[in-house]
Amino acid sequence: MALDLDAMLVKIGERQWALADIDWDAPGADKITAEQWPGLKAFMADLVWIENVGARGFAAMAKLAPTETLADIYRYFHAEEQRHANAELALMRRWGMLDGDDLPEPNVNIRMAIEWLDRFADDMPLSVLGTVIPMLEVALDGALLKFLMDEVKDPVCHQVFEKINADESRHLAVDFQVLEILGNARLRKLLIESVGKTLTPGLLIGVLMYIPLLNRMRNKIVDMGLSEERLYVAMNRFKNVGERSPGTRRVPTYQVLKWHADMVVNRKHPYHLLANSMVWMSDRVPAKVFGPVPTWFKELTYEPVARETLEQAS
Amino acid sequence: MSEETHSVVIIGAGFAGLGTAIRLVQSGNEDFVILERGDRVGGTWRDNTYPGAACDIPSLLYSYSFALNPRWSRGYSGSAEILGYIDEMVERFGLARFIRFNTNVTSAQFREDDGVWAVTSDDGQTYLGRAAVMAAGPLANASLPKIRGIDTFTGAKIHSARWDHDYDFAGKRVAVIGTGASAVQIIPELAKQAAQLTVYQRTPGRVIPRTDYRTPGWTKQLFAAAPITQRAAREGLFWVHESMALGMVWSTPLTRIIERAAGAHLRRQVRDPWLRRQLTPDFRAGCKRMLVSNDYYPALQRANTKLITWPIATISADGIRTSDGIERQFDVIVFATGFDITKTGTPFPITGLGGRILAEEWTRGAEAYKSINVSGYPNLFFTFGPNSGPGHNSALVYMESQIDYIVRATKLITDRDLLSMDVRPDVQRAYNVQIQKRLKNTTWNSGCRSWYLTDDGYNGAMYPGFATQYARQLGDLRLTDYVLTAHARSNTGNTGANDRVSRPRHRNVRTLERTRHAAPVRR
Repeated sequence: MALDLDAMLVKIGERQWALADIDWDAPGADKITAEQWPGLKAFMADLVWIENVGARGFAAMAKLAPTETLADIYRYFHAEEQRHANAELALMRRWGMLDGDDLPEPNVNIRMAIEWLDRFADDMPLSVLGTVIPMLEVALDGALLKFLMDEVKDPVCHQVFEKINADESRHLAVDFQVLEILGNARLRKLLIESVGKTLTPGLLIGVLMYIPLLNRMRNKIVDMGLSEERLYVAMNRFKNVGERSPGTRRVPTYQVLKWHADMVVNRKHPYHLLANSMVWMSDRVPAKVFGPVPTWFKELTYEPVARETLEQAS
Repeated sequence: MSEETHSVVIIGAGFAGLGTAIRLVQSGNEDFVILERGDRVGGTWRDNTYPGAACDIPSLLYSYSFALNPRWSRGYSGSAEILGYIDEMVERFGLARFIRFNTNVTSAQFREDDGVWAVTSDDGQTYLGRAAVMAAGPLANASLPKIRGIDTFTGAKIHSARWDHDYDFAGKRVAVIGTGASAVQIIPELAKQAAQLTVYQRTPGRVIPRTDYRTPGWTKQLFAAAPITQRAAREGLFWVHESMALGMVWSTPLTRIIERAAGAHLRRQVRDPWLRRQLTPDFRAGCKRMLVSNDYYPALQRANTKLITWPIATISADGIRTSDGIERQFDVIVFATGFDITKTGTPFPITGLGGRILAEEWTRGAEAYKSINVSGYPNLFFTFGPNSGPGHNSALVYMESQIDYIVRATKLITDRDLLSMDVRPDVQRAYNVQIQKRLKNTTWNSGCRSWYLTDDGYNGAMYPGFATQYARQLGDLRLTDYVLTAHARSNTGNTGANDRVSRPRHRNVRTLERTRHAAPVRR
């Protein structure tokens, strides 16, 4: 059944939550084991930035949205991904993983993603970001977050990720509805858009950015102990939901992403020779090739109340 | 409860009501009353006294041609000076004797038997008029927006149109919600005073620079000594604005030029690419009201100012929570969220022929004939009525045409002793079909959400054309478009050579229908 986007917009507005709703000093922070701590720290740092990059993706989608309702929904999703990043940062602080007030350093592939998003995302066709984002969200929601829930015993962590999961399920419902809408366009339009608009230098650079970013994350979580089986399950969910809708199946970028996801989750696939060498090469990219970090990147905070507006400021 | 009878009852003592009064006096009619709910004149300009309040149309054009003011101190005057001009008009034309202050109208009803409007106020007084003029203004009512949790906020709440001049912003943590026409004037002023100013934006507007200047003394002297020079300057400004319609009313290559000019203004004043992106609108120039400011962008970049574009999730006891999960705490929230514009109803019940209620007919959007009359509501005239809004020129230019039309029509009612002058429903329908057809091609209907449109996207606010076109249509009071009904007591000859007497509809009236050949009454 088609999703009523107007009703969804109302629902999203009603389901907002804030960092202040969570008691960040509640007992349970000590349930992180010494063994877990270093791997979890590295993983959370990447997760925070991935959420932040996802947020920027939704910001681009708000500009690309064909209707005001969808634009409003994407504006919410943009903010919600930022909220997830803020909450995860607050968890890192709770677990003593932040060095003073400093935010964790984004890895080189994240920096590449930022550069790409700032330069190209606003001009991409909706079908590109509209397919990549649900794929990443399924992976995040279906594999990584469930893995965290199993491994980490801190009740505050569970409280946070339950809220994040609830948000993500709404994101996925909208994401797949949009894929369905995109797929119901005339085939000729789909092909013209795929070939004419998608195969641009921006997209090719995006692919070069995306492959090592995904593999770095994949390798990191597998190293942390996440079974590859979970990734299969998550990717199958992406496919199962997508295949249910004839519209989605007609979206060329969906077909490409599905084919790519199959390769990513299969460690034995020769694709990883290419992807891992790209990770290796990206590690050798000198930091000075990147421009200054965009200001949206500095908006993350673990503080439930913005410091500049606290009472003592007045 | 008492009654007072006049030839015309005017509701509202703002620009429109007072302008109508001046023209009535000049036409020789001094039998009218102006009902004003406040305790002083000025309407929108009396209410909007927030810091920085100013007009974004040049003062030479934002004034009446029949009440020129040679002493405007600036190109674009502030609210205090505009209010001073309005006060001066009241004195100059001796209007005070016509005004009933603190008279809040609660209903208006047409009495079919004797052809008068019975306008009732909340103190039980009824004012009877052969004609009634709705000059209540579209920007008269303002209330706090319905944001979740607004009642829980423990700090101060101030609406831009109800400014609290006793509140001291110095050293305070201030939030401004809204980035429209009022906000871009308030923000630069508050940024100078507040310790911390946070601006909440939903969608950015398109900002063009303001070419403001202090009027040199010699110009004032020249305008005072030779008003023809002021008229010439006004005429020049009129045509500059009129030409802007080509880019602001319709999407044309000029629209692109206006967008580029606004884009260049943004690039010149804002260096940070992300802030620039946040301030870049997604809609065509003209689709929403253009903003005019030189100091808005610099104010947003001050060290003590921050722009927030996250959706507001809720207002809490201490501040505002946005969807990024963060709360910001404030001493005061300023709501620059606009007005309760009557797009689908009326400010008080208006009852016409056969007990029909205007608000019920306007539930899906307001419509009228030439923005002035509504069929079924005889002898009732609107200023700033449906589809009379300008997007590119002075509202007062439009208002002058409305006023002159109303003065001629009300004169007709008294001179010919008409029981009622009611626009024909078929004429009104045809007029609106045409208006809505023309609106389809305008920037306002090009896909953005704005206060010009109802939730259904119906545009009952704007006039799709040049000010010149609007004035021309109102220059022609076409009697064939109306059903004119004479009092039983009057001589049928009064209604014109081509009138035809038909059977009486009411006990003591006879209906006079105009033939299609009747000569229009012209100025």
